[in-house]
Amino acid sequence: MASLTLKDIKKVYPNSEEKKSKKKKKGDEPEKQKANLQITEEGVVAVQQFSLDIADKEFIVLVGPSGCGKSTTLRMIAGLEEISSGELYIGDRLVNDVAPKDRDIAMVFQSYALYPHMTVYDNMAFSLKLKKTPKAEIDKKVREAAEILDITQYLDRKPKALSGGQRQRVAIGRAIVREPKVLLMDEPLSNLDAKLRNQMRAEIIKLRQKINTTFIYVTHDQTEAMTLGDRIVIMRDGFIQQIGTPQEVFNHPINLFVAGFIGTPQMNFFENCALTVDGGKYSVEVLGKKIALTDGQNKALAAKGQKACSVTLGIRPVHMQLDEGGFTGKIDVSEMMGSELHLHMNVQGNDVVAVIPTAGLDVSAHSIGKSVNFSFNPALAHLFGADGKNLL
Amino acid sequence: MQFWPLMKNTFLLCIIGFVIGFPLPIIISLMLNAMKSKKMSKVLQTIFNGPHFISLVVLVGMLTLFFGRYGLVNNIAAHFGGERVSYFLESSAFRPLYILSSNWQDFGWSAIIYIAALSNVDLGQHEAAILDGASRFQRVIHVDLPAIMPMISVMLIMSIGGLMGVGYEKALLMQTDGNLGVSELIATYVYKQGLTGVPNQSYATAIGLFNSVINVVLLIIANTTSKKFSENSLW
Ligand SMILES: Nc1ncnc2c1ncn2[C@@H]1O[C@H](COP(=O)(O)OP(=O)(O)OP(=O)(O)O)[C@@H](O)[C@H]1O
Ligand SMILES: [Mg+2]
Repeated sequence: MASLTLKDIKKVYPNSEEKKSKKKKKGDEPEKQKANLQITEEGVVAVQQFSLDIADKEFIVLVGPSGCGKSTTLRMIAGLEEISSGELYIGDRLVNDVAPKDRDIAMVFQSYALYPHMTVYDNMAFSLKLKKTPKAEIDKKVREAAEILDITQYLDRKPKALSGGQRQRVAIGRAIVREPKVLLMDEPLSNLDAKLRNQMRAEIIKLRQKINTTFIYVTHDQTEAMTLGDRIVIMRDGFIQQIGTPQEVFNHPINLFVAGFIGTPQMNFFENCALTVDGGKYSVEVLGKKIALTDGQNKALAAKGQKACSVTLGIRPVHMQLDEGGFTGKIDVSEMMGSELHLHMNVQGNDVVAVIPTAGLDVSAHSIGKSVNFSFNPALAHLFGADGKNLL
Repeated sequence: MQFWPLMKNTFLLCIIGFVIGFPLPIIISLMLNAMKSKKMSKVLQTIFNGPHFISLVVLVGMLTLFFGRYGLVNNIAAHFGGERVSYFLESSAFRPLYILSSNWQDFGWSAIIYIAALSNVDLGQHEAAILDGASRFQRVIHVDLPAIMPMISVMLIMSIGGLMGVGYEKALLMQTDGNLGVSELIATYVYKQGLTGVPNQSYATAIGLFNSVINVVLLIIANTTSKKFSENSLW
């Protein structure tokens, strides 16, 4: 139960000794890009300009591709990594130099990190024992947490004798018995199979109702991010790209990266579309067809004083529909998902994906090699400028 | 020499050596592993391994240099007005010299196997323990030690199995008329009976065999006990 403030947090992993000496010998340029991360004199910059205000009891999800600095950020909050610069407040207290155990946080690890020689009970009681909590109180708290997580019947077992899902519950139990102000989770579900993952995701939502804690949750799975988070923080190469509610990041992605990252199947992009303006009315040319934009879009563009230019148009697969009068494509792959059909089409050299509801649809008419006509509602299209920023 | 004194000499030398020598590498490896500076820990480990490569003859030679009548220790003692003591003629000095020099020679080497086991300990467990509020020492006790426990069990069984299997070379090298009463072991006695003077090989073989039987019995007992009380055993 605490708010959290991160102010311009930066993390630099120092170069190892040998790298340093090598660099000096060569005397090469101070800055270069390696795997998109900034590498400076001091080392690898894993996270930078990270500023975020987290409200009390909020559920924040950090999401982004592998190596973007999610775990690093979480570990800095936990105190397992030093903060290179910037300020971290938990509540009103500056905790940059506070030891992890005094930060009043708990963390759930991807690898569970349970103590293998202790029983489930002892695993959960360990931190309380170290704090010299009275035995009766430990017992009460452990049993309460076990009750919440439905692991009471496993309390006497060792972690070895548990399934992955059960272990993960124990790991969560170990974190919540301490009643931390902030609960950190680093990809807690990624070791579980798909079905169990869905189940545990629901459990975490339920858990949230039962305990009053601020959650910070790291994942690279956007479904988890969308379903769990009050707000989502999308990261890339150490920088925050966008912070917003699931609807915000889905409906108004701030740039091409966020647009492509959030939503499955991925948003379709049509590059090099000509945006033209004629008497305050904008229109965009896609696949040889000129499409007039809606009033709302016109207003937004006009407000920015947008001139005619070349843009990238983005449209989500779920926002496409079959339409005899629309664009014509050839079906490369047709995936029947049950309630919907995923059509991978080739349209004038562009790969386009459309998600079509199967209710009332003749699925066999949309098999591989057949041609298909489709269109989309321009109101749901996104326009991105040359710098990748959303223009609307 | 009588059989029982031989037996007693061998047993005492081995058991004291074991009691000191078995935990030492474990403690050393835990300490090296918990050191903050990984570089320093590597340097120390290398230094600790050095003595293992000294041959027994050279080692006993060093012991004479340090503890002989005109060796370093006596020179220092004499300098401060103390009396010179011939440690190699004192039967009370034989066991300490033998055991301490053996342990000095081998603790670093024996620690290698534990250090290797410790390097496999999941870093996440340490981090979880840090967040749980465990101090460095508590982490050694609650994370590192349990992680190498299976290794310790196996080493324990094997050392108990080889408990009475002390070689004759070092004892023979350190043997003098003065300490013969404690330095005559089954191994040295078998060697002398079987190969020197007028050989009495059948007698020597019988004693040697008896020693081996004791070892086998010890090994079985150790293994069974370990199987019963922990999940670790050799078979
Ligand atoms: N100890 C370290 N020394 C140097 N660089 C590091 C270190 N730890 C992490 N990095 C770098 O920092 C970057 C961010 O790492 P981080 O573990 O935070 O990524 P992540 O977003 O959690 O990725 P994933 O989804 O794969 O877990 C990575 O590019 C990584 O190579
Ligand atoms: Mg990570």
